[in-house]
Amino acid sequence: MGKQEDFVLRALEERDVRFVRLWFTDVLGFLKSVAVAPAELEAAFAEGIGFDGSAIEGFARVYESDMLAKPDPSTFQILPWRETVSGPATARMFCDIVMPDGSPSYADPRFVLKRTLSKAAEKGFTFYTHPEIEFYLFKDVPQKGKSPLPVDRSGYFDHTAQSMGSDFRREAITMLEQMGISVEFSHHEGGPGQQEIDLRYADALSTADNIMTFRTVIREVALSQGIWASFMPKPYTEHPGSGMHTHVSLFEGDANAFYEPGAEYGLSKTARQFIAGVLLHAPEISVVTNQWVNSYKRLITGSEAPTHVSWGHNNRSAMVRVPMYKPLKGQSTRVEVRTIDAACNPYLAFAAVLAAGMKGIEDGYDLPREAEDDVWSLTDRERRALGLDALPTSLAEAISLAESSELLADTLGEHVFDFFLRNKRAEWQEYRGVVSPFERDRMLPIL
Amino acid sequence: MVRPSSGKATLLRLGFVDPESAQASLTRLGPAAEPILAMLGLVADPDLALTGLVRLVGSAGEAEAGELLDALVDDEGSAMRLLGVLGASEALGHHLARHPEHWRELTDPTLGSSRPAAYAMRESLLRAVGADPADEVAVATLARPEALDALRVEYRRILLRLAARDIAHDLPVTDVAAELSDLAVGTLDAALAVARSVVPNASAVRLAVLAMGKTGGHELNYVSDVDVIFVHEPADRPDDPVDDQTALRAATQLAGQLIAVCGDLTAEGRIWAVDANLRPEGKAGPLSRTLAAMGGYYERWASTWEFQALLKARPAAGDLSLGSAFVELVQPYIWHAAEREGFVEDTQAMRRRVVAHIPAKDADRELKLGEGGLRDVEFAVQLLQLVHGRADDRLRSPATLPALRALTEGGYVGREDGETLHAAYSFLRTLEHRIQLQRLQRTHVVPDDEASLRRLGRGMGFLKEPVPALLAEWQRQRREVRRLHEKLFYRPLLSAVARIPGEVARLSPEAAQRRLAALGYEDPAAALRHLEALTQGVRRAADIQRALLPAMLQWFAEGPDPDAGLFGFRRISEALGTTHWYLRTLRDEGMVAERLARLLSTSRYATALLEREPEGVRILGGDLQPRATEPVVEEMLSTGRRRDDAEPGVRAIRAVRRRELLRIAAGDVLGLTDVRAVSEGLSRLTDATLEATLQVVGEAVRTERDLTEAPTALAIVAMGRYGGFELSYASDADVLFVHRPVEGADQQVAASYALAVATELRRLLGLAGPDPALEVDADLRPEGRSGPLVRTLDAYAAYYGKWHSVWEKQALLRADAVVGDPDLRAAFTALIDPVRYPAGGVGDDEVHEIRRIKGRVDAERLPRGADPATHLKLGRGGLADIEWTVQLLQLRHAHEVEGLRTTSTLDALAAARSAGLVGQRDGALLDEAWRIVSRIRNAVTLVRGRASDQLPQAARERRAVASILGYPPGSSDELVNDYLRATRLAHGVVDTVFWQ
Repeated sequence: MGKQEDFVLRALEERDVRFVRLWFTDVLGFLKSVAVAPAELEAAFAEGIGFDGSAIEGFARVYESDMLAKPDPSTFQILPWRETVSGPATARMFCDIVMPDGSPSYADPRFVLKRTLSKAAEKGFTFYTHPEIEFYLFKDVPQKGKSPLPVDRSGYFDHTAQSMGSDFRREAITMLEQMGISVEFSHHEGGPGQQEIDLRYADALSTADNIMTFRTVIREVALSQGIWASFMPKPYTEHPGSGMHTHVSLFEGDANAFYEPGAEYGLSKTARQFIAGVLLHAPEISVVTNQWVNSYKRLITGSEAPTHVSWGHNNRSAMVRVPMYKPLKGQSTRVEVRTIDAACNPYLAFAAVLAAGMKGIEDGYDLPREAEDDVWSLTDRERRALGLDALPTSLAEAISLAESSELLADTLGEHVFDFFLRNKRAEWQEYRGVVSPFERDRMLPIL
Repeated sequence: MVRPSSGKATLLRLGFVDPESAQASLTRLGPAAEPILAMLGLVADPDLALTGLVRLVGSAGEAEAGELLDALVDDEGSAMRLLGVLGASEALGHHLARHPEHWRELTDPTLGSSRPAAYAMRESLLRAVGADPADEVAVATLARPEALDALRVEYRRILLRLAARDIAHDLPVTDVAAELSDLAVGTLDAALAVARSVVPNASAVRLAVLAMGKTGGHELNYVSDVDVIFVHEPADRPDDPVDDQTALRAATQLAGQLIAVCGDLTAEGRIWAVDANLRPEGKAGPLSRTLAAMGGYYERWASTWEFQALLKARPAAGDLSLGSAFVELVQPYIWHAAEREGFVEDTQAMRRRVVAHIPAKDADRELKLGEGGLRDVEFAVQLLQLVHGRADDRLRSPATLPALRALTEGGYVGREDGETLHAAYSFLRTLEHRIQLQRLQRTHVVPDDEASLRRLGRGMGFLKEPVPALLAEWQRQRREVRRLHEKLFYRPLLSAVARIPGEVARLSPEAAQRRLAALGYEDPAAALRHLEALTQGVRRAADIQRALLPAMLQWFAEGPDPDAGLFGFRRISEALGTTHWYLRTLRDEGMVAERLARLLSTSRYATALLEREPEGVRILGGDLQPRATEPVVEEMLSTGRRRDDAEPGVRAIRAVRRRELLRIAAGDVLGLTDVRAVSEGLSRLTDATLEATLQVVGEAVRTERDLTEAPTALAIVAMGRYGGFELSYASDADVLFVHRPVEGADQQVAASYALAVATELRRLLGLAGPDPALEVDADLRPEGRSGPLVRTLDAYAAYYGKWHSVWEKQALLRADAVVGDPDLRAAFTALIDPVRYPAGGVGDDEVHEIRRIKGRVDAERLPRGADPATHLKLGRGGLADIEWTVQLLQLRHAHEVEGLRTTSTLDALAAARSAGLVGQRDGALLDEAWRIVSRIRNAVTLVRGRASDQLPQAARERRAVASILGYPPGSSDELVNDYLRATRLAHGVVDTVFWQ
């Protein structure tokens, strides 16, 4: 047993921890948690906690359901919302999923990202991400068939609700910082009750872990205040959706590989090829970056979300945006990928984006022309003339593009690729069969 | 007295390389030259020594030079020391030329006998910078530039004395290294005194310097980075308390100054680089930390190698009580380190990486890294210390050689091994010292130029033929280290269970179990019992086993199932224990033993074959490529015919088959035979077995029926995978029997004879017995099981003329008449060719029919509950998918594409590719998928000992399959992923090629 494990075991004693939650993420991006008593933890460090993988969405192939969750002691944290002043506390650790022979499981999304990162590392790159996560706050727990009420409404002077929002922000920040995640908060103007939080720049694996923690913290804080937080990509027809614009960059050692002094926008050849890769493969990885039926309702003209494969400099309609280059700040050169939404599985989404970009670098893709116009305002024919391909407009389209994507299969690994697409096909089939209020409202009166 | 001649010949004999210059130099020395000439012949480099002496005399004043030369002539000891140093070190020669007065140091007669005390060195170094050694917090009084120069000169003065002791008085290498460490520690203290004189708020902090690495271990080289860690605490000043920030700032400045004082280049050169990178967080961390911060770090963050480094920490300079507190603080962490999971693997992997990263150019000449280098010894010793040091505190010595001695005395390392390793390490270190002394440069590479090698050789005492003698000895020692390194971990395990002559100390059973577990044995108690059983019994056998086992244990440990390997070895050894050749073969032919170990720890199939016939061990030393058919048939026949009866005859044939199966399996497990060669080898072996059995059984039936001649010619047609030359270990042999009565024979007699032979052949080959049975399956014959077992050629002709359905055509694609009467075989082939390669290809109706059958097979044949994604034969993109696809192409196009008329899937596929019937990429995907699936299928049988069409689910089996396929440990799910990928892509091709 190492000292980190010793440290955890001692902390359990000192902090009077009664339960330890072992966290991992399923293939669709839901956080899973197994609670163990401190007494079992010693064994968990040594051998892992056995669980039935077939009970977890997307984990086990038939008949080989024995899997182990191995806690990573360096991720030990006391859960602040479970902590009472003097009473017993609850803690959490992230886990790696391993097979009974100790080999890492290809079903573990964390391992998907780790594999992709280490492929990039073989080429000398580390991948950094900085997500801007959007979400909505609602007054009540969702109820079937009822339209949700946002906590604050523009033009509607609801004093209580306003203070609710600010209380929420104060408490969420405190808790996130207790969990070791530093953030920048901003109240989003876009929709009523919509918030945006930026996580600090960090390596992609830590960021993905942090996003998982973040979503939980936000939901917990909301619940504790009697409100409801949701990362649903597009909860309202009339208001903007919740995206997760992600700034990405590659580093070679200590140097930003995207930066080249004197080049246009300070973008190096590596950066240009990376962007070209992300653009070319965007349609086929769309099923991962935007994985729900609802995701495609966000990707429509006029919202902050992109609809076409394009890049631009400070062009908010572009899919990849190159932010303003600040002289003397070469280390911060980065590009913003604007497709990803807040309800993705961050491990898979980061892996897919990185793989697409790396493909651009490896095969030396050429960066297409910059889109200088507002892509939304162009006509279809103009877009065709400019060579702007459309992103998939529905989950069905995204699935069929993904099915023939070798890049995606390679990145996700056979097991996750197969499960993910099967699950998405099922989701689409189910959705397709449902008659929506739109149809009734429109058609009942006239047909 | 004969005056020594200074003629050219004499000079050459003494070892001078450049006699002309030497003569000139000697002339300049005047009368002193003659008496010292003989002494020059004994030093490492006479030319260098002489040049150095002339330069020294030249730079000394006239009076001083006279005194010097007189001293050399009068005192042999002084001459020996001065000339020895000048001949071994160009750098010290230069120092003497710059400080000629230092020659007097070497006239000190006590140099040979007394070791300078560490405190004395420290005091003289402190005085050199004008500090008072008695002061607990000594501060230099010289200005910084002067202090730096003075410290360098004083350092070299002491070094000069030490080098003289080393070279002229044969100091043991451990003493030299310890004195160098003392000198380094004293220097650090003096450097700290200088630092205190320049850092403004130095008194705000108590700073301790911990020596790490070689300095800490009392085993420093002449030139090496000096590894340190700094620890500080705010000064205890109740009247003027110091806050943490101020203390940290002062400590960091002091540490930085100390590093600069030692490392800066001045007119007097530099001393050595001080390296503080072993500190927590390495380069990224603060230069100095408080005790509490250190504790916090080691508690939570440190990694394995840092604990290995801490083994050598000792207080060196500054506040020694603070330094001691640090050492006390980290002790418990060090001795818990070995219990971290994967500790031994981590450490060994680290070493393998080090070896792999040496630039190839220097790898052969590296003293330190590389196989058989110094690092090998140091690593092994530290590893054993960490594994056993927690339970046995006698092992906690910071220096390599004393630790090795303690390990040997405690029985953790065999006595002889320990001594040999000790000698080898001393030799390598001495060589390293001599190399560094030359230019006082930090290097671990043995030079490759003749002059340097010659000097080194002579310096190491090889006065005759110095270069070859040195190189030979170096290689020998390196081999010793490499050889011992492999056994070091394993050999002492035996002492725990067996009394080994000459060993005083034994490893306790607990310690042995701890080590076995660390090496990957899952049931160390059982392993220990096997070891005990193996090393008891007949004395001679036990002796050989004791010599063998250390290596065997290591090879088992490298396999996927070490426990099974050891257990199998025990059973085979018990079966063969007294056989004269067995142990001798293992002992004398290392390859046999290694191959045996790998087989036993990987393959149950091979283990079972070996257990049934331990004699098979013999073939492991030979060629493991599958043999050709003819010699095997001959051997089978000659042994089979010697028996009176068919049954023992076939048993003899089957024994030959078993041995050949072992040959093929062994070649496969050891990665010597590729998948096609395995399939072909198995098919050929089946050919030979059927051929020999057919003859032996035919003779028996004839004898029984009183026939002199066979009434009919018989042949066997290989079908299915057998016909395709693609057998796997567990496949049945699918066949058709065909016969053609000889002219004038009674049809009835002929038919009955043929049936009797075929029936008897199947019975005898399928009989349960000690050998693996060969199931001969004739179900693919016309009308299947309800048809007659044997038909005449005419009957086949009539049948195929009338009845053939498309699936029969498809089955005939794989028909290869290989065994029996050659004419009949040719006639059969001529008969079926038009059937299976129909003119114009099969029609659309038949294509639809095949697709329909395939659809039904996909739906129905898969065993209930089997996972289609991982079923090797019938799964998605599995063997059936690929083979049906290729066969459909054959049925449609074989009439026009010559190359498609083959029974082999891969050959037909290649032909289809070159004829453009499948795309290049698609063809490659099918080819790759077929190979990986076939390889896995074979590997599964090898691992489990019986066939399975399912990718194994049990972790251990999966690991073993991955290992046979060449995957590194811990990547069995990667194998699964690769399999799924290959079959998914193949399935995609099948979808377009077969279904559209």
